[in-house]
Amino acid sequence: MDLREKSRQLLENGDVKAVIGYERGTMGARRPAFIRKAERADRLVFDEACAQNLATYLTRPEVRKLGRVAVAARPDTLRAILQLMAERQVKEENVLALAGDGTVELGTAQAIEEHLATCAKELPARDREILDRLSRMDRAQRWAFWQAELSRCVKCYACRNSCPMCYCGHCTMDCNRPQWVPVASHALGNLEYHMVRAMHLAGRCVECGDCGRACPVGIPIHLLTFNCEESVHLQFGQRAGASSKLDYALSTFRPDDKESFIR
Amino acid sequence: MSRIGVFTCHCGENIGATVDCAKVAERTRNVPGVVHSVDYKYMCSDPGQSMIKEAIKEHGLTGVVVAACSPRMHEPTFRNAVEEAGLNPYLCEMANLREHCSWVHEKNDATTDKAADLIRVMVEKVKHNTPLHPIRVPVTKRALVLGGGIAGIQAALDIANAGHKVVLVEKSPSIGGHMSQLSETFPTLDCSQCILTPRMVEAARHPNITLMTYAELEKLEGFIGNFKATIRRKARQVDEKLCTGCGLCITKCPNKKIPDEFNEGLGKRSAIYVPFPQAVPNKPVIDKTNCTFYKSGKCKVCEKMCPTGAIRFDQQDELVTLDVGAIVLATGFKVMRTDKFPEYGYGKYADVIDGLQFERLASASGPTLGVMKRPSDGKEPETVVFVACSGSRDRAKGVPYCSKICCMYTAKHAMLYKHKMHHGKAYVFYMDIRSGGKDYDEFVRRAIEEDDVKYIRGRVSRIYEEDGQLIVKGADTLMGGEPVEIKADMVVLATAVQAQDGSEELAQKLHVSYDPYHFFAESHPKLKPVETNTAGIYLAGACQAPRDIPETVAQASGAAAKVAALFSRDELTREPVVAVVNRLPAPTFSYCVGCFLCQSACPYQAIEAEEIRGRDGTLIKTLAKVNAGLCQGCGTCVSTCRTKAIDIQGFSNEQIFAELMTL
Repeated sequence: MDLREKSRQLLENGDVKAVIGYERGTMGARRPAFIRKAERADRLVFDEACAQNLATYLTRPEVRKLGRVAVAARPDTLRAILQLMAERQVKEENVLALAGDGTVELGTAQAIEEHLATCAKELPARDREILDRLSRMDRAQRWAFWQAELSRCVKCYACRNSCPMCYCGHCTMDCNRPQWVPVASHALGNLEYHMVRAMHLAGRCVECGDCGRACPVGIPIHLLTFNCEESVHLQFGQRAGASSKLDYALSTFRPDDKESFIR
Repeated sequence: MSRIGVFTCHCGENIGATVDCAKVAERTRNVPGVVHSVDYKYMCSDPGQSMIKEAIKEHGLTGVVVAACSPRMHEPTFRNAVEEAGLNPYLCEMANLREHCSWVHEKNDATTDKAADLIRVMVEKVKHNTPLHPIRVPVTKRALVLGGGIAGIQAALDIANAGHKVVLVEKSPSIGGHMSQLSETFPTLDCSQCILTPRMVEAARHPNITLMTYAELEKLEGFIGNFKATIRRKARQVDEKLCTGCGLCITKCPNKKIPDEFNEGLGKRSAIYVPFPQAVPNKPVIDKTNCTFYKSGKCKVCEKMCPTGAIRFDQQDELVTLDVGAIVLATGFKVMRTDKFPEYGYGKYADVIDGLQFERLASASGPTLGVMKRPSDGKEPETVVFVACSGSRDRAKGVPYCSKICCMYTAKHAMLYKHKMHHGKAYVFYMDIRSGGKDYDEFVRRAIEEDDVKYIRGRVSRIYEEDGQLIVKGADTLMGGEPVEIKADMVVLATAVQAQDGSEELAQKLHVSYDPYHFFAESHPKLKPVETNTAGIYLAGACQAPRDIPETVAQASGAAAKVAALFSRDELTREPVVAVVNRLPAPTFSYCVGCFLCQSACPYQAIEAEEIRGRDGTLIKTLAKVNAGLCQGCGTCVSTCRTKAIDIQGFSNEQIFAELMTL
């Protein structure tokens, strides 16, 4: 059995209202596919080239309206689903994750957590290389590096739109009464946008890297939030997407919190 | 279009001597939106207030800025004046020219410029102010007093006598606290039990007081006037209603070898026990860790003996939920134990005792019935050394503060000893004698001059045992640091007063702040000494800092007066400076996405869930909602909210933005 057959079954039995998976796109790429009829399940593919985190669609109003949906899920997707559950955006009964080769049904948060425990997480070589390079820099060099990278940002908000955790109906960036962050893509506006984004995702980023993949000008923007996640892990001993009952590290007080960063 | 009036105050010389107020008023006239700007010597005085009221009417002002002192000082004054002139009081703001400008800068042009800037900022804020209305919340007229020592008893009695219901919760089987353990009290040497036990009985009999002994606070929710407290009533294994307190079970209990807490380990008690004969209520409890039945499954002698069949081996802890309007914290203190002193033998010498143990030795109801006998062999101690400041004022022991009561009780101890053993020798090692208080210094002088207690100014470096005696090595600093060695039969350490065990956890349950030593923190060290930072929770006694009995009783009555004042009204009005989740027309309803990450951020548990349902009852959206009664307006949720769906009334995002952008 493969994902196509599984999806066909699920749709025919009425277990789910839709399957969110991948289909062939242009130039060998894969693009998301929303399959609502069993006979269209043939279009689905699930292979190494399927990179996008499909959990991002679970919070869209159109998908929410459908009811229970199945999602072709890589480990990143599973973490995103758990984090969305922790933030009360996705209900456990409304999502069925199809993990592994697409045939492993994970219907509960607990099943997802158990499955995730078997998946190792590795940073891609290119990311590791940049992070290593950054860790060797001093503060001024890091500042210069990010200033140079962010100067190329055109503020298309692709990073925001691709992010499974950027589900807010009304983004701070769209807030214009008052306009805290300038809209234009000049140096100050870009810096403010990316700082706000990193801070809003600190302790929530599931490290799928979709923002970096979505960036049309190739800024390794995902590394900002990866690094925030690393700090949160170091200080609070938890990672976003580890559990559907995770407390938000930045707003939860625990008596045994490390307070080494308070000076 | 805004019509703002600006009133610049000289505050006598306070502002006027540093800031050119006339120039500030002149320059402020040119700020867009300002239609009236004047300066005056004392804005808070009656003529000053009249100026504001008249200007509101004359110029049809829509907002007022008073540039004067701190809003903490006079904001209510000016808001009242504005309200009397018919304007919403929350359309009046203060620019703090005193603390933020004149008091902290030299007299020059830059200072005057800054004063004008501060006013300009507040003008921008007032332009965005909206009329607000005080929040009204009902008051439950029942108080919860935590801790049944003298502080708790006094507070409970005073509140009850003011005509309000009180629930007095005590964690041990009897009320009375540390005071019930004391022999005599300074500076009058009246018997502690004689003055305390009538109060205990009065508390138990008072129609307005409900006693809950052997109980602890499990959980607290709610806010001032509307707390919901969950109390865990620990299982006594005795039916309180059936028990007559005859004490037959206690005399028949086969296990009588348990160190007695009430006598500080100097006596023994049985497994079923009342802490002391005058206990209130006089109903025993079974100590489950030491009871033969709970250890081996056999015994039940007490059950067989009980004439009323009151023993309940199957009794479980019970959780009781209470609605209360105010809470008095009176959980008391503990003393540092002798095992914390390596230099004095780590507590391994039986005759090195702490102050509370001495109280029991000296007490007529104590293990020796008041006869001076040292714990190790029962010998009458011919020489006794008292060491004041044992642990207190000692950074190495983690107690840099003064425990306050030790100077006085050490003098009392030495005196009591001399009264019982006229031929005995009493030495007191001390650092300083701190005997401030009515008749206190006279008391210490009496110990030295009339009762011949030898006071040696210096510290004790070491105590060790030799030939059945304790060798006390110290120095006499008034004799040029000359070494002193005393062969003593008994040593009494006036050990440090510390916060009760579990204070930190309790403070976190109640959301009350505490100091580094886990004493509960008052709201203001001078002007709000019995209030905590959480409205509706008050402090009494040594849970706040080391205290003697007169101070404790005074503070307890103070806390009770605060509670009575709170209960004198049916409704509370609160400043409307609270967080609000924005609401919009359908289908958005709100920018809130219902992630509830603000919920854990809120220190006051003020964030609730609100469900938006369609006409057919289907759930459309779940939003965060701020309980205005609980919210203290701290703004933590505002900074946590990613979508900026939360704003603080009176300090909105738009206002802060306008304030910043004008500079």
